[in-house]
Amino acid sequence: MSALVRLRDQAAGLANVARRALAVSLLGLVLGGLASLAATGFVFAVEWLNDVLWVSARSRMIHGDWRWLPWVTVAVLATGGLLVGLLNRYVLPGGRVHGPPDVIEVAQSGHGRLSLRAGLASAGAAIASLGAGASVGQYGPLVHLGATLGSAIARWMPAGGATLGTIGIGCGVASAISTAFNAPIAGILFAHEVILRHYSLKAFAPITVASTIGFVLTNFVFETRPLFRVNVVPEVAPAEFGAFIVLGILGALVAIAFMRAVILAGRLARASRLPVPFRPAAAGAALGIMALWTPEVLGIGKETLRFAIIPEAFSAGELGLLLVAKIIATALCLGFGFAGGSFSPALVIGALYGALAGYVAAPLVPGAADSISVYAICGMAAVTSPVIGGPITTILIVFELTRNYELTTAVMVSVVFANLVSYRLFGRSMFDEALRARGCDLTMGRDQLVLDHSTIEAYITRHFVEAHPGESLGVLRDRLIAAEATEAQLIDRERNYLGTITLSRLLVAIARAPNATVDSIADWDDEALRVDTSIWEALKHAESNIGEMLPVLEKGDSNRIVGVIAQSVIVRAYRDTMYGIRREEHAAP
Amino acid sequence: MRSVALCCLLFWGAALAQDDPEPLHVATWGGVYEESQRKAYFDPFAAETGVPIETADYAGGVEPLREQVANGRPEWDVADMTMADHRQACEEGLLEPFDRNSLAAAPDGTQPERDFIEGSFTRCGVAHNVFSVVYAFDKRAFPGAQPYRIEHLFDPERFPGQRAFHRRPDALLEWALISYGVPAEDLYSLLSTDRGMRLAFERLDRIREDIVWWSDPAEAVELLLRSDVSFAMGYNGRFFDAAVVRDQPIEIVWDAQVYELEVWGVPRGAGRPELSRRFIRFATRTESLVEQTRHIAYGPTRVSANRRVGEHATAGVLMRPHMPTNPLHMDRAIEKDVAWYARTRERLDERFDAWLAAGAE
Repeated sequence: MSALVRLRDQAAGLANVARRALAVSLLGLVLGGLASLAATGFVFAVEWLNDVLWVSARSRMIHGDWRWLPWVTVAVLATGGLLVGLLNRYVLPGGRVHGPPDVIEVAQSGHGRLSLRAGLASAGAAIASLGAGASVGQYGPLVHLGATLGSAIARWMPAGGATLGTIGIGCGVASAISTAFNAPIAGILFAHEVILRHYSLKAFAPITVASTIGFVLTNFVFETRPLFRVNVVPEVAPAEFGAFIVLGILGALVAIAFMRAVILAGRLARASRLPVPFRPAAAGAALGIMALWTPEVLGIGKETLRFAIIPEAFSAGELGLLLVAKIIATALCLGFGFAGGSFSPALVIGALYGALAGYVAAPLVPGAADSISVYAICGMAAVTSPVIGGPITTILIVFELTRNYELTTAVMVSVVFANLVSYRLFGRSMFDEALRARGCDLTMGRDQLVLDHSTIEAYITRHFVEAHPGESLGVLRDRLIAAEATEAQLIDRERNYLGTITLSRLLVAIARAPNATVDSIADWDDEALRVDTSIWEALKHAESNIGEMLPVLEKGDSNRIVGVIAQSVIVRAYRDTMYGIRREEHAAP
Repeated sequence: MRSVALCCLLFWGAALAQDDPEPLHVATWGGVYEESQRKAYFDPFAAETGVPIETADYAGGVEPLREQVANGRPEWDVADMTMADHRQACEEGLLEPFDRNSLAAAPDGTQPERDFIEGSFTRCGVAHNVFSVVYAFDKRAFPGAQPYRIEHLFDPERFPGQRAFHRRPDALLEWALISYGVPAEDLYSLLSTDRGMRLAFERLDRIREDIVWWSDPAEAVELLLRSDVSFAMGYNGRFFDAAVVRDQPIEIVWDAQVYELEVWGVPRGAGRPELSRRFIRFATRTESLVEQTRHIAYGPTRVSANRRVGEHATAGVLMRPHMPTNPLHMDRAIEKDVAWYARTRERLDERFDAWLAAGAE
């Protein structure tokens, strides 16, 4: 009999496992499929606009006999800029384009909620920017769009919550990257390394399914090509690996110069006092005029990327010139409010830098003359990985695009040294720097962010010893002793907080003047906590406060008291939150 | 009753032949290609209608058609052009509009709309076969290592010898850029930039001294068979005929083949549009297209015809492996961007002529 019961329990357990596995696959399947569709639609829309608006090289060649072509470019960029500017000003929450930094912030803070409106409007602004030929990237917007959809749907699902929202974000991001690069493993790693920043089995499984779906859809259903394919790879000489280290270190400097230029351009835009709607238009017009001489600065720069890995395509002088031009163009576009990422421009800048480095290395390093394209690809990875803060992702993207071990090994060397240097001199990534500028510091991990996003509300005690103005010291003392409390809160009839009275103070006062009232000895806590104060704030407050019970007031400016919170409880709130984070990070399905 | 009908039909046919002894003038490419057309549908058409087909020599380009249309009455009734030239001619208004409903259904009743492969129809005509530009080499010239990739065409040190090319930028520019390792999908966007064009011509500079130009496709094969050149660019069907049917010592290199469609169109203002349409309907029947594959290795544009591809009429070899559309040949295959060519022809030719002139100095 007991054997039968055991068998039944085991069967029930198995059924439970199967049900969970099914739910997890379904989540990944739905989210991955949708994000992949969205990414494909996004890329298609941009390509279509590029053809119609004479931005793509092919359409420029077809209409190239028309002498107004250059001015069409200026007009298209300025108009596209105006459209983006208006979206920024009137539609987008916070008056700015949202992107990967917002995804990271939401994923790190753990509430898993990305605004659908901000996501869709940002995607629209990015399509307009990229469609008009602004020098910005498309992977950032793709990641943000995928994350937004993932978050929205995961939260809408039954049993959806903060954790599921975060997993949804991971699924959307992985599928978007997998679709865009045709690189499913890189998709999974990007979601974990750059966005989630931890590996839990619970999230890993659906994210893997989502990434795979993205890959399957692009390869077998839409049969779209990866955005950049590398098919010819020369051999690497052993001595060159030393050169790749140097290439990586110097690549970090190029990456830092690029990131600093974007930040500087942002400051310039604010200092210019140009109204927000007109900022991108101004940058667009400037870019269009720049393109009269260097059409390579326009758009995503796919052709330039391709030429950079052809040794005969550029002279060293041209490479240097284009490198600077592309940095300026991209900084201008991003700083002045065009919507788009920094990943694709970083690829182009890096490839140009790498090819230039190859020219320099050719007479110095044996074997370098034959492998300029390897230098270009290493340079590309070395500049890109510090920008996105994803060394492993970058290495894997190169591996999945080339399927070549020698090349990936070379890239690996450059990438880690680039990240090492950039981390020291700049920070983890452009995204983290943007967050830091907004007051969200992730240098020490996510703990502070999560504490910052959790309030003390659940930990407030509504019962405390009340003191009222005019009450005598002795009466209060007796009440405190009866309640076994050490503190009382002085409140008026409207329950406004007037101060805190500690038992020790009360006893001292009684010894001095037994007939006095409590009013004279209340100690006003001028930085009182409020219901919506974060645990992080409460912790800081508790450090500087000697009292045991801290009063908690209503939200806003009111002085009405809601309850108290004990210091020990704040510590418990801290411990609970940390435990929650660890549980999420280590959770198995 | 039946014999009366047959009698009437014969009489009608004879009357038609008597009333209309004037042959239908079809512009086409000569050589074994024209022979395959003659066997597959020129002669059968004449037998059915009593109207003989007279061919006019045509070797590509829009210029001859432009002249004829400008002169008023074109000499050609039907023109067999490559898709790029056909589209350009159509855009320039040199061809009559075409009604796809005038075509015959497949034997199983499938409507032409669904039977022809994607991209077969244009405003002015219908595609009837897929051909490809490849290069072939003289096996006697390379007893050791043999060239098998496009890169080898631009490597005169490893593979010396004269190269016979069509005197046009078509396929040459593509090959030149492919030899740098550019994937086929990026080809035309790179050729659209000044830098890409420059790179392509730089590759051609390497072999400039070794180039022999041809203008008639039949010449390409002859040059190779006479050992006047070691390599020749040409149409796959003609090379197939020489290598397989006539068993000559040449080898076809399919790497980076440039494939395109061949299209029927009616010149603007041509004298007998009704008869021309009847001819096009006849020539694009599934049976006609299948019969042509028994004589030359060009892929039919109808799905129903592709299913029926069998052996060569005389050589007895299976034709499928020799078709441009065989998956084995599609690895680095280039689909010619005909829209690109149709809109950039003049500037391309200008640049090509400038390059030729620079070499002549």
